[in-house]
Amino acid sequence: MHLRNLLRTTSFRLSCYYAILFAGSVLILSAVVYWVGAKNLTKQLNKDILGEVESLSDQFGKYGPDAVARTIGDKLGEPTERNNFYLLQDASRVRLAGNMQPMAPTSGWFDFPVPPQFDRRGEGDPIRGYAVLLPRGYLMVVGQDTHHLVEMKELTRRAFGWGIAATVVLAIVGGAAFSRASLNRLDHIHRISREIIDGSLHRRLPTRGTGDEVDRLSEDVNVMLDRIQTLMGGLQQVSTDIAHELRSPLSRMRQRLESARGSAATLTECQAAFDRAIEDIDEIQRTFSALLRIAQIESGSRRSGFWEFDLSAVAETVADAYAAVAEEKRQTLSTLIDSRLAVYGDRELVMQMIANVIENAIRHCPPGSAIRVAVKQAPGAKTVEVADDGPGIPVDFRAKVFNRFYRLDLSRSTPGSGLGLSLVAAVVKLHNANIMLADNGPGLRVLISLPDGGRPQSRIGATI
Amino acid sequence: MKMLVIEDDAETARYVVNGLAERGHVVDHADNGRDGLFLAAGEPYDLIVVDRMLPGLDGIGIVKTIRSAGIKTPVLFLSALDGIDDRVIGLDAGGDDYLVKPFAFAELIARLNALSRRPALSAAETKLQIGDLELDCLTRRVARCGQQIVLQPKEFKLLEILMRNAGQVVTRTMLLEQVWGFHFDPNTSVVETHISRLRSKVDKGFPSELIQTIRGAGYSIGASP
Repeated sequence: MHLRNLLRTTSFRLSCYYAILFAGSVLILSAVVYWVGAKNLTKQLNKDILGEVESLSDQFGKYGPDAVARTIGDKLGEPTERNNFYLLQDASRVRLAGNMQPMAPTSGWFDFPVPPQFDRRGEGDPIRGYAVLLPRGYLMVVGQDTHHLVEMKELTRRAFGWGIAATVVLAIVGGAAFSRASLNRLDHIHRISREIIDGSLHRRLPTRGTGDEVDRLSEDVNVMLDRIQTLMGGLQQVSTDIAHELRSPLSRMRQRLESARGSAATLTECQAAFDRAIEDIDEIQRTFSALLRIAQIESGSRRSGFWEFDLSAVAETVADAYAAVAEEKRQTLSTLIDSRLAVYGDRELVMQMIANVIENAIRHCPPGSAIRVAVKQAPGAKTVEVADDGPGIPVDFRAKVFNRFYRLDLSRSTPGSGLGLSLVAAVVKLHNANIMLADNGPGLRVLISLPDGGRPQSRIGATI
Repeated sequence: MKMLVIEDDAETARYVVNGLAERGHVVDHADNGRDGLFLAAGEPYDLIVVDRMLPGLDGIGIVKTIRSAGIKTPVLFLSALDGIDDRVIGLDAGGDDYLVKPFAFAELIARLNALSRRPALSAAETKLQIGDLELDCLTRRVARCGQQIVLQPKEFKLLEILMRNAGQVVTRTMLLEQVWGFHFDPNTSVVETHISRLRSKVDKGFPSELIQTIRGAGYSIGASP
C-alpha cells in the first residue's frame, strides 16, 4: 500500500478536515475555559487582598498603628503566609512593619516586581498590591504573590495544548487507519475488477454481508455481471446456433446448384434450379429477420412504440385470420374473447405474439384437434390463453421451447424455424408480462398475463 | 410512367432502374440525397423510390422537404432497417409505403403499381365491377352473374383490395398488411387459405376463374396474363 494512495483516499481527507474542525473547537473551548478561570482567580485574589486591607484598616482605626504593626509581624511570622506582602509606613516614609521597601504614598491597585529575596522560584512573577492611605499620613500596602495565577494559567495552557495535539494526532492516525481499511477493501475490489476486465467474467466482487454502502454497490455490480454473463452466454449460444441453422439450407442450396450446373439440359430445368435456390435464400432471410426482430425486441428499445390498444380486437383479428388455417387442417379454432380489454403495450408485437402461439398450436396438433383462444380480465392482469388438446409439451422441455432454434425432437419433421416461441418470450418480457405453459390434460395450455395499469416499470426479469 | 429512384448502392440501383425500364417506365436515378432532392423538387414524377439511408441528405429528410413544398408524388421507401419503428418513422415523414431490403422485384412492382393507382381508385369509389362480378362497398353486397355471394368480413376486404387493384398483382405481404394489419411474415399459409376460401365462393361453379395466382408474386383479379 502506497502512502500516496492512502493520502488520496476520501476517508483520509475527511478525517483531516475533521481533525482541523475538532482542533478548532477544542481551541475555542479551551480559550473560554482559560479566560473564565483566569478571571475568577484574579477576582478571588483581589477579594482576599481587599479583605485583608479592610480588616487591617479597621484595626488601625480602633487600636492604632502599633497594633497593626504587630498583626503584620505575626502574619509574616506564620510559615503559610509566605506569599503575602505587607507594608505599614508613617508619614515620614519610615517602615513600621512589613516585608516591603517604603514607597511614595499612593492608593489603589498596582503591580510591582517581586523583591529578589522573595523570588523563590526565580520566575519574577509580579506581585499584586493594594495601597491605602490611612489617617495621619500612614500608608498601608497589602500584596499577594501572583504565581498561583500565573502557574494556573500556564498549566491550563499546557493542558489544552496537549489536548489539541492529541486530538489532531488521534484524528490523523484514526483517519489513516479507517482509510487504510477501506482502501484495502477497495483495492481488493479493484484487483477483482481488473481480473473481470481481463476476461474472468465468472469472478464476483466480495461482500461482507453487512449491507453497508460498499456492499450494496458490490451486490449491484454482481447482479450486473450475472446479467452480462447470461447475455454473453446467450450471444455465444445464438452465434453457434445461427451457424448450425444456416449451414443446412446453404449446403442444400449449393448441392442443388451444383447438380443443376452439371445435369440441367434445358432452360426450364435451369429455371427450376434457380427457383429452388431463391426459395432457399428466402428461407435463410426469414430466419435472419426473425433473429433480428427478436434481438430488437430484447434490446428493449421498442418501448417507444407503446400505447394503449384494444387487446380484444387484436386477438379477434388474429384468431379470425387463423380460424380458416385451422379449418384447412380439419382442426377447430374457437374463441371466447371478452370485448374491449385495453392494454398498454406494442400493438403489432402483441399481435405477432398471439399469432405465433396460435400458429404453434395449429402446427403441432393433429387433425381433429380443438384449439381454444380466450382473452379475459383476471385480477391485476389481462390474460390471453391458447389451449389445445394436442400432444402437449413434456414438463422437462417447457422452459427450453423458448430458446432460439429449439425444437422438440419429435417435431423436427414439422416445418418451422424454432424461433416462434423465442419471439413470444421476447415480447412477453418487453411487456413485463408472464407466460406459463401448463398441461391441458391432454394438450398444451399457454397462458400469457399482461399486467394492468399504465406504463410498465422497466425492470429486469419478467418470469418466463 | 416517369419514376425517380434515389439509391446510393450501385448494385441495387441498377437492379431497380433496369427492372423498371424493362417494364416500359422512364427512370431517373440519383445516387445521393442532394441530387435526389434537386430532381424530386424540379421534375414532375409519377412515383419516387427512395432509399432511407443516403449520403448527404437521408431519405426521411428528402421526403419531408418535398412534402412541405407541397409535392404529393407517391413515395416508396426502400430500407435495410427492418423495425416497426423504422416503418412508422418512414410513413410519418410522408412516405406512402415501405419495403425492406432485400426484396423480390415482383413485390416492388406490385407496390409501385398500387401506389400509382391510389389517387384514381380512392375509397370514394363504392361500386366495383370486374366482368360479371360486382361488389358494393356501402351495402357490402357481392354478386356474380346477379347471384348473391355471402362473404365473411375479411373475405370481403380481401376481394375489395383485389378489385381496387384490378389487373395488377397484389402480393401476399400487401394482403397481410391491408386485410389483417399483420406486419410480419406468418409461418403458416394465412393468405393462401383465405384466398382459396374466397375462390370457392367467387369462382367455383362459374365458367371463368377471376382470381389468378401469379407465381412468385401474388394474386390478381381481372388480369390477362
